Amino acid sequence: MIELHERTRRICASRIEEILLQYGCKSIVDPFMGIPTHLNYLKRHDFAVHGGDLVEWFVRAGDGLVVNDFTVLRDNEVAEIVEMLPGRIYSVDLFKAWEGVFFTEEQCIYLGVWHDNVHNLRSDGQTGLAIFGLWNVLCYWLQKAHFPDDMQDVPPSELAWHYIRKTERWVSTNLRRNTVRRSDVLTTISAQQADALFLSPPARNSFRSADARIWMWEAWWQGNPYYNIEHAYRDSLFGARSSDEQGYARAFASVLSNAQDYPVVIVQTTESRIKELEPHVRNARPKVEIYSPAPGETYLIGTK
Amino acid sequence: MSLAEGSGPSSASESAALGDALAFFGAVADHAAGTPAAQGRLVASLAAAIAQIDELPENESDALYFAALLRNAGAIANAAFAKAQDLNDRARSLARDDIPAQGARICRMIPGLPEGCADIVRWQAEQWDGTGYPDQLRWSGVPASAQILHIAQTFVSMDDPEEALAAITSGAGRAFSPEQTRSFVMWYHMTGAEIAPAAVPVHALRADDGASDAVLSVLSESIDSHNATPGRAARIAFTTRELVRALEGSEAEQHAAALAAEIFALGELRDAQMEDEQFDPLARLGLDLRTQHAVCAADIIRRHPFLREVEPIVRARAEWFDGTGGPQRLRSGDIPLGARALSVAVAYDALEQARTTKITEDRTLPVTRLETASGTQFDPAAVRALAGILKQHA
Repeated sequence: MIELHERTRRICASRIEEILLQYGCKSIVDPFMGIPTHLNYLKRHDFAVHGGDLVEWFVRAGDGLVVNDFTVLRDNEVAEIVEMLPGRIYSVDLFKAWEGVFFTEEQCIYLGVWHDNVHNLRSDGQTGLAIFGLWNVLCYWLQKAHFPDDMQDVPPSELAWHYIRKTERWVSTNLRRNTVRRSDVLTTISAQQADALFLSPPARNSFRSADARIWMWEAWWQGNPYYNIEHAYRDSLFGARSSDEQGYARAFASVLSNAQDYPVVIVQTTESRIKELEPHVRNARPKVEIYSPAPGETYLIGTK
Repeated sequence: MSLAEGSGPSSASESAALGDALAFFGAVADHAAGTPAAQGRLVASLAAAIAQIDELPENESDALYFAALLRNAGAIANAAFAKAQDLNDRARSLARDDIPAQGARICRMIPGLPEGCADIVRWQAEQWDGTGYPDQLRWSGVPASAQILHIAQTFVSMDDPEEALAAITSGAGRAFSPEQTRSFVMWYHMTGAEIAPAAVPVHALRADDGASDAVLSVLSESIDSHNATPGRAARIAFTTRELVRALEGSEAEQHAAALAAEIFALGELRDAQMEDEQFDPLARLGLDLRTQHAVCAADIIRRHPFLREVEPIVRARAEWFDGTGGPQRLRSGDIPLGARALSVAVAYDALEQARTTKITEDRTLPVTRLETASGTQFDPAAVRALAGILKQHA
């Protein structure tokens, strides 16, 4: 059974908002975006937000939750995602490799159907919403394997409908330009300008032990159950040097040195990693404040 | 006056006073959110019972109790409920989602709360499947204490216990974590769904001198912010205290009147418009509305024994000196001194604010207008005292 954690990092959007307000920031860039729910929250609270990541499904979800201001799905459009449509030929065996390992036969068939349906959607916004909504279904199924007696058996299409509708709730506009891009950290940093740069850098070697759900959903989006997520990171700044402690330190330092134009840099870390990251932030910024509001949540805030 | 006045300055009595003040804050917040004022204690007691079955560490359980009391703190001044907000339905719905995070911010301003309390308030609406708000935390990322609060709140807010049980168990794995749902189900069957009042864990409060007064200050500022009347409570409290002093009221009467002035406006929290925006403060037309607000506030205050000196003042603040006011048609000396002072101070503040901040053709000095209602609406001695105080401060 897959070991399931909340996330590899807890990103607390309402806390980031408090920090941004305290430092008078109106816009933010997150080059290690991950699942973009925090950027969606900040967008809904009137911040201009920009994210970047190397994993494609994160960026697609960002199209739905961050870039998308108005697009939602009508009932018939949701139905076209969650159900097998007559007359369309589906690759129902696409995810057969996962059958009996992670999912049941029925679930694997639906994964194939949804993969095809989502790839046929008409807009990036709708696609992003569908990817994120269906990702919640994946999470539900994985948890159901852990708690078979506690969690209800819900028909896949009903579950998918429920989560896609829930995802749509977060669509809103802040009358600003918000972006997501599929790019490495340095590219994202230099491509955007904002009041604050938010960095929640991956732990060293973390790409090699990526959260099962993350690689699984990227594999689903790519339509390849054998997809290796290391491909996404292989040539990246952190991916290439992740096995080497000094290489990791150099990579982090280079991120900070490339971020000189940002008035505020917020580095999210943990108590155990603060010693590793703090010297670099102090080298890059004359003023550094350490804020530890909760266990496992520490922020290094560097200003000019 | 400290809320613990008369019972000595020991830390135990300060903690008890702080506990009372927090319960009052929670009741006002519940009122702002439109939930019954007595619901906070029920939610807190149920949360404490589930926490015990769930074997939550004691410090977290204590924090959970106060978080349950203050779970709606963010409703005060929330854009969905506050005045001077022009929102469509969708924006209002999204604004309501900000209640937990705003509540957490308010909790951080309140001195003496147990560590972690603010974050339980923040994450009370997180759902176990990651679709809650504000932070969309998922699974083990949602603290057990926040999950318990979510379950307790859901149960108490539903009328039929069996229906609530069904809703919560069917939400296991989605809204609620399976583990905490199991603890809840165990509580349900052990107790027959009867919520036993839990002891208030005042020992967990870090009460300094004046902590309870600080809580009420935060509350009164929040009420002002909600009513879009910044600074009003402080101004009226100052004038009221000065008036009671000038009318030779005792220290205790001065304090009770000032406290009444700080919180009387909670009666206006649920109305879309302030009474002064609808009616001239000296117009009899506004009497019903003022009476309604006074009764609403007094009914909430009455449930909190530490405010027993304050309640009659708030209740009688719409009485007229000639016995034609409301709600009890009290006359002259039957109206508490604090209430006579408070009604003058409230009317003066409304007139003064209108004169200095709004475009109006009426340049008559507020005190001159108040004098026209002296002996009918207002105690003549209080009006004379106000004129004297204004001269002193001129």
